[in-house]
Amino acid sequence: MSNLLKTCIVDDDLIYRFTMVKTLESIKLPMDIMVFSDGEKAINFMLDNLDNEPEYPDVIFLDIDMPVMDGFQFMEEFIKIKPRIGKSITIYMVSSSIDPVDIERANNISAISDYIIKPIGLVRLKEIMENLLDERK
Amino acid sequence: MGINKNNSESLEKYHKIFIEQTPTAIAMLDNNMVYLAISQRWLKDYKLEEQEVIGRSHYDVFPEIGDDWKEHHKKCLQGAVDTCDEAPFQRADGSLQWIYWDVRPWYTTNGEVGGLLMHTGDITHQKEKDLEKKRIEEILEKTNEIARIGTWDLNLITNEVYWSEMVREIHEVSEDFIPTMEASKNFYEETESRDRFVNTVRDSMLKGTPFDLELEIITAKGKSNWVRVVGQPEILEGKCTRLFGIIQDINKIIQSEKALSKAHSELQGIFNSKAIAIITADKNGFINRFNQGAEEILGYSATELVGSKRPDVFLVKEEIAEFRKNLVQSFNKDPSLIDPVEYLKSHDLNNTREWTYRRKNGDTFPVLTTLSSLKNDKGENEGFIAVATDISKLKKVENELLKKNQLLNFAEELSMIGHWQWNTVLDKVEWSQNLYTLVELDEEFVDLKFDTYFSFVHPEDKEIVTHYFDKAVKNKEFYSFTHRIVTTSGKTKTIQLLGEVITNKKGEVIEMIGTGQDVTEIKMAERKFRGLLESAPDAMVIVNEKGKIQLINKQSEKLFGYTPEELFEKSVEVLIPEKLYPSHTSHRKNFSHTPKAREMGSGKELYGVNKIGKKIPIQISLSPLHTEEGLLVSAAIRDITKQKLAESKLIEAKENLEHIAQKLSKQNKQLADFTHITSHNLRAPVANLNSLMELYNMSESEPERIDLLDKFETVIQHLTLTLNTLIEALKTKITDTSEGLENVDLNDVLKSTNEILSGVILKSGAIVKGDFSNVSTITYNKVYMESIFLNLVGNAIKYKSEARAPEIFITSEVENGKIILKFKDNGLGIDLERHRHKLFGLNKVFHRHHDAKGVGLFLTKTQIEVMGGFISASSKVDVGTTFTINFN
Repeated sequence: MSNLLKTCIVDDDLIYRFTMVKTLESIKLPMDIMVFSDGEKAINFMLDNLDNEPEYPDVIFLDIDMPVMDGFQFMEEFIKIKPRIGKSITIYMVSSSIDPVDIERANNISAISDYIIKPIGLVRLKEIMENLLDERK
Repeated sequence: MGINKNNSESLEKYHKIFIEQTPTAIAMLDNNMVYLAISQRWLKDYKLEEQEVIGRSHYDVFPEIGDDWKEHHKKCLQGAVDTCDEAPFQRADGSLQWIYWDVRPWYTTNGEVGGLLMHTGDITHQKEKDLEKKRIEEILEKTNEIARIGTWDLNLITNEVYWSEMVREIHEVSEDFIPTMEASKNFYEETESRDRFVNTVRDSMLKGTPFDLELEIITAKGKSNWVRVVGQPEILEGKCTRLFGIIQDINKIIQSEKALSKAHSELQGIFNSKAIAIITADKNGFINRFNQGAEEILGYSATELVGSKRPDVFLVKEEIAEFRKNLVQSFNKDPSLIDPVEYLKSHDLNNTREWTYRRKNGDTFPVLTTLSSLKNDKGENEGFIAVATDISKLKKVENELLKKNQLLNFAEELSMIGHWQWNTVLDKVEWSQNLYTLVELDEEFVDLKFDTYFSFVHPEDKEIVTHYFDKAVKNKEFYSFTHRIVTTSGKTKTIQLLGEVITNKKGEVIEMIGTGQDVTEIKMAERKFRGLLESAPDAMVIVNEKGKIQLINKQSEKLFGYTPEELFEKSVEVLIPEKLYPSHTSHRKNFSHTPKAREMGSGKELYGVNKIGKKIPIQISLSPLHTEEGLLVSAAIRDITKQKLAESKLIEAKENLEHIAQKLSKQNKQLADFTHITSHNLRAPVANLNSLMELYNMSESEPERIDLLDKFETVIQHLTLTLNTLIEALKTKITDTSEGLENVDLNDVLKSTNEILSGVILKSGAIVKGDFSNVSTITYNKVYMESIFLNLVGNAIKYKSEARAPEIFITSEVENGKIILKFKDNGLGIDLERHRHKLFGLNKVFHRHHDAKGVGLFLTKTQIEVMGGFISASSKVDVGTTFTINFN
């Protein structure tokens, strides 16, 4: 198993993606970053790699508000293929929305580890990534 | 004694020898009745051979000799001679000996009585024969008499005829009738019997054969008599000299034979009958005959019962006991002192009663049984015969009749009805039990007339009663009426009379029959009902089966403004609006068909009409009333004018509320939309700004910082655009929609849209067509209308299919009085399954188009909604999308 933490960002917001990548890089942890601009692109990647699980991310930062396939729609599709995936994937829902409707909805999906309100911030992101690496050891 | 002793001794000796050897019974006794000599025969006759008799007294030898004989002997010793031809001699051993005797004295030489000489003979044997003959003759005589047998004798030499008395009797001739051969012959019936008689007699005389004939004679008195003639010829030297024989009257025998045979066959018939059970029992009670009928009725076979069972196998124990008790009572004896079984052995029994028999299978059924004793020829009871018939059917009918009668009585009692029958010709009246009860008259009073009833009629009602009965006679039809009576105890009762008039062929009234019912309580109930009616809070109208008004209460008078007299017997439809007549009539008929309490016209608004023609909203409950006059319908009517008013107010208030609620929910929705917009569209750039700031602070090089500042600019531009859109939307929302309204020509709008979008239309080769022939102008905000067209046509071109040139078709139409505008394209289409909920949201994009901002539809929706309309979409991916705008 690779000791790199495969980190996936799914978000249509260019600026957000830019800040996320920059921040993750500043943490300086062994990681491999992949980026998708909407849910459909992300789920297609997973469907394409069903027999190539090592390619799967260890952690996904998933936006809600995206064109074509939003975060919740991605989760619906993901849950469908989840039984076929051996790898444990941690998913964080990351959104600028402070709408209780969105938060409640995310909390009701067990496959989502947490709901994070944008911006994540360096400190929080570092903590998450370190914890994930610890668990893998 | 003897002079010459020797001589006399030898003489005596000779005498003794002589006596001893005499073949008859002789005894010589001296003066003291002591035996001197006896013959052997004597000893034999009197069975004295074993005894020494000589020297013993005669009376010692025969102690049985009585004093009378001793007296005779004394006389003989004095010289008398006693002879007797026959006399019974009762011997000491009990046997009877018939003897004759000759007792006389013997004399000594000097002439003195020396003793007695007895000569006897035993004639017992002969005597018995004589007696027997005599007995036989007697019997014969008697038998002849009983058997009616007479004897006849014809001497063929003298031609004399002898007839015995019985022969005369049989021929019914007088005692002095002299029978002759010819006369005898002529008694025989001439057609058959006479010829047979003559021929038979001739043959008999010729051949010497006896004969035995049964013939018919006609007696001197002209009666036909059957006789049996038996004859025997006597032949002397080959010639018949005599013909004799008997003649027997067999008429009775034949007749009784006939009767017997008839009776026998009848009995046999009865005995074999399947309907009648005949069972006989011997004196010990064992069944000895069990006929087919008994087998049939009781289910036992004769072989099962005969000789081994008593009748109690099919009898009920209690009934046997009861029967015995009754039997003994009928003998007038104390039951405790007498055994009926024993008693019956010597007494006749002939009893007919109902019994319960039990079949072999256990079923019981009633029978009528005649029980008689059977006697033998000595008149002793030999047993019993039971003749039984199954009367279950009879019983059933009887019971049913009884039950029906009871039922009738019961019914009359319950309904307080009595019935009567009046023979108008004889003025004879019959009442049922309950009619007596009704007038409280004793049932013993049987001599009923019309006046009997009339006397009970209340004095004030006598006229009514007379009137109705007169009318019944006149019209030959009885009209039901009620009147009062005063009973024997002084109670006043109201009676309703119903009747039927019966006439003879001539049409004259001969009888009336009918019922009388105590309707006092019904009348009272009617009064109570009336009171109830008046106190009811609703208007009550009572209608008969034909729909005619019978009764209304005060409330009805008030509601409809009619008096009861005005409405009586009027059709109930006068209270109903004219246009409802036909349906009401059929409804009414339905109700009388299945009468049950219910609301009238449920769910419908009902109206009544008062006297002055005003429509009144009403509510009606119907309920059937079963009365003696038939089915009545009571309608409770409530004026609901006030309720109606309140109701319409309520509906109005409800509608207002609904409107407000709709508005509120709309506003809520807009509020939610705003929350969404602030969350996503405003917070997202702010979050980006924060992130960029963080990175900017961390940045260590100048080029990095410049790059970040570049990014800042992008975010700020985006934020500005968003805020501008929002302001525009909010501006739209707070605009007074009534301002800027004008008649917008749709063709004009399409024209200007084409002009504005000419660049992209040209570039994409799009065809944009409009058909506004249905609706060409809409009163609307012109700027909004132009914005709607621009956004929708622009979108259609922007999201065109790569495979085909865009075609956009816009039509207007009117649906349910509302104007509808449709924009139909052949573009990419939208997956509405996924995106319907955010189709018109701000910044929502569904295609990865470089120019997709998610602003157009958001603004379009805002503009349409603010004018009171709504927009919807239908789409098929890769086929096209149709947006539909409903204007208010």
